[in-house]
Amino acid sequence: MLARLLHFRGLLFTLTARELKARYRGSLLGFFWSLVNPLLLLGVYTLVFDVVFRNRAGGAQPYAVFLLGGLFPWIWFSTALLDGTVSLAANAGLLRKAVFPAEVLPAVSVLASLAHYLLALPVLLAALLVARLWLHHPVGGWSILLLPFALLLQLPFTLGLALALGALNVHFKDVRDLLANLLTLLFFLTPILYPLESIAAVRPLRLLVAANPVTPFIRLHQELLFFGRVPAPALWLQAAGLALLAWAIGSWLFERLAQTLVEAV
Amino acid sequence: MGPGFQLRTLKSALLEGNLVRGLKPEEAIAALVDVSFTVARGEAFGFIGSNGSGKSTLLKLVAGILRPDAGRVLVDGRVAALIELGAGFHPEISGRENVYINGAVLGLSRREVDARFDRIVEFSGLADFIDEPVKTYSSGMYVRLGFAVAIHTEPDVLLVDEVLAVGDEAFAHRCLRKIEELLAGGRTLLLVSHSLALMEGVCDRVLWLDRGVARMVGEPRRVADAYREAVAEEEGRRHLEEKTRQDEKTKQERGEEQAARTGGEEGAVAAAETPRRWGSRQAEIVGVRLLAGGEERYHLRSGEAVAVELQVEAREPLDDFVFGIALSTPRGLEVWGTNTALEGYQPRRLEGTVRVRVDCPELLLAAGEYVLDAAVHARDGAPYDYRKQVLSFSVTAPTAEIGVYRPRHGWHFEGAIVWGAAE
Repeated sequence: MLARLLHFRGLLFTLTARELKARYRGSLLGFFWSLVNPLLLLGVYTLVFDVVFRNRAGGAQPYAVFLLGGLFPWIWFSTALLDGTVSLAANAGLLRKAVFPAEVLPAVSVLASLAHYLLALPVLLAALLVARLWLHHPVGGWSILLLPFALLLQLPFTLGLALALGALNVHFKDVRDLLANLLTLLFFLTPILYPLESIAAVRPLRLLVAANPVTPFIRLHQELLFFGRVPAPALWLQAAGLALLAWAIGSWLFERLAQTLVEAV
Repeated sequence: MGPGFQLRTLKSALLEGNLVRGLKPEEAIAALVDVSFTVARGEAFGFIGSNGSGKSTLLKLVAGILRPDAGRVLVDGRVAALIELGAGFHPEISGRENVYINGAVLGLSRREVDARFDRIVEFSGLADFIDEPVKTYSSGMYVRLGFAVAIHTEPDVLLVDEVLAVGDEAFAHRCLRKIEELLAGGRTLLLVSHSLALMEGVCDRVLWLDRGVARMVGEPRRVADAYREAVAEEEGRRHLEEKTRQDEKTKQERGEEQAARTGGEEGAVAAAETPRRWGSRQAEIVGVRLLAGGEERYHLRSGEAVAVELQVEAREPLDDFVFGIALSTPRGLEVWGTNTALEGYQPRRLEGTVRVRVDCPELLLAAGEYVLDAAVHARDGAPYDYRKQVLSFSVTAPTAEIGVYRPRHGWHFEGAIVWGAAE
């Protein structure tokens, strides 16, 4: 699977570029929207959580910046899965009428949504700088240089899931709706709105959040970006294990279903 | 695959463990059965057959888009499938960028597209529009650009599925020239088309597929003729069936009408309102048949002897009556019409059931579909029974000439004119 994706990397990047270009084509601000959207979020969250409801989430200050540090990678993850799930069905014409490597399509969804995350990062970094230098919060740090490793782990994790869901969705149209609801639930079970420490006292919730496979990935981002710490080796290992597992299951399932894909799509 | 394919629920798949073993459609219609053929390098090979006969499925198997459930497909060389043109085109972005995307979908690297870009644009004839978003293109332009990219992938095996039918005439010619150029260069062509003339012109051999089974393979003209004959036979059968149905309907209507008449006048009014038939029914056309070669037939050859026979039933003795027939195309063009008054027959008496026949020793019609009206009416035109499109028939001719009239004719030349062998 990996070999095939690498072999079609030209196609992969061309189609990813197509996705990005097409999304902003015809709009006045173009790629600038990728910055405006997170800026707006930052502004609203600052107003609501740091001005209106002050100091609710202990430890993580300023709260809006903490929130975005977890929200952006989550958006990457969830958008990639939602787009990846429908990618095969949406490009049925391509699969039915051309000799086309189907696995490229979920990969394009994952990469396009990663690109959006990367485009939003500067806003987060600017916010971190402002919080650290002017507001004197102990946030951010050189640990950010390790961010590429976190991305490299989350990429196969997301891609594995997107491949599996995309192929399944061709056969069973309920997958998409199932996923949309599951993601909503999962969002609250991931420490994005609250730092992990704040639920330490609520045992069942803590166990659920710890069992959530997305938690380690989001925490990697939070540690590296917001807290400015190098994450513990256990966290890295946990993420790597999950990434490997998701990738293995995803590529295995995709190859299973690939036989009947073109006929069913 | 076929229309028999059914989606199962995720639950049943999980319970049956199908996800592990790989999903298979529960019910399937075999699109192709026992079709075997070999195409040599440099050969142009065509597939004909009616819709749903498996032609496109076959090309998709060769292209590798579909996998055969049984049997093998061996292809030596790079395949380009011109089955859907412009695969991967995105409407929002420019033609230029779409050329690169489409090229990538067809397996070209960015550098390879760079090298071919000017030729692609020139071939498509869209130089002025190449930087406009593809959504502004007409469907013809869209196809032209798609074809231009596909043909420039320089394939060893070219699969063409009915794509030459789109785009304008000039572009179709350009495509054909390009295909011939590729054939001359030793490339192989697999062509699907409903244009038998194109098949005969381009292909070395033709395979005729009939509901997934190979009916015949060989020299294009021979296969095309056999196919034409089968289609004509099928059409004749359809016309006959349709007519039988109509006759039955007429019988039924008559029954109902008689029942209604005993009950009051409303029934007669309702019957008069049916658009294909009107009149007082003092005399009634109870049957119309087309006779050729001594049998009832609705598929005719241009030039053969035919007769139209009307069976008319007079409800009461009449002394004022005209029989008429009229021929037109299904789109309403009047071809020919005549009646007994026009041809000088003076009516005296009509009683009981009679037969009226119009003999035509030579049907000088061009190939096409025709419909016949039949009527009985009074000399002043007041209809007793007027039946529009009471039957339809088709005519075939050895050559596809224009129009509806096909007189006996021949070409003669004087002077320095040289003609080559046919096609």
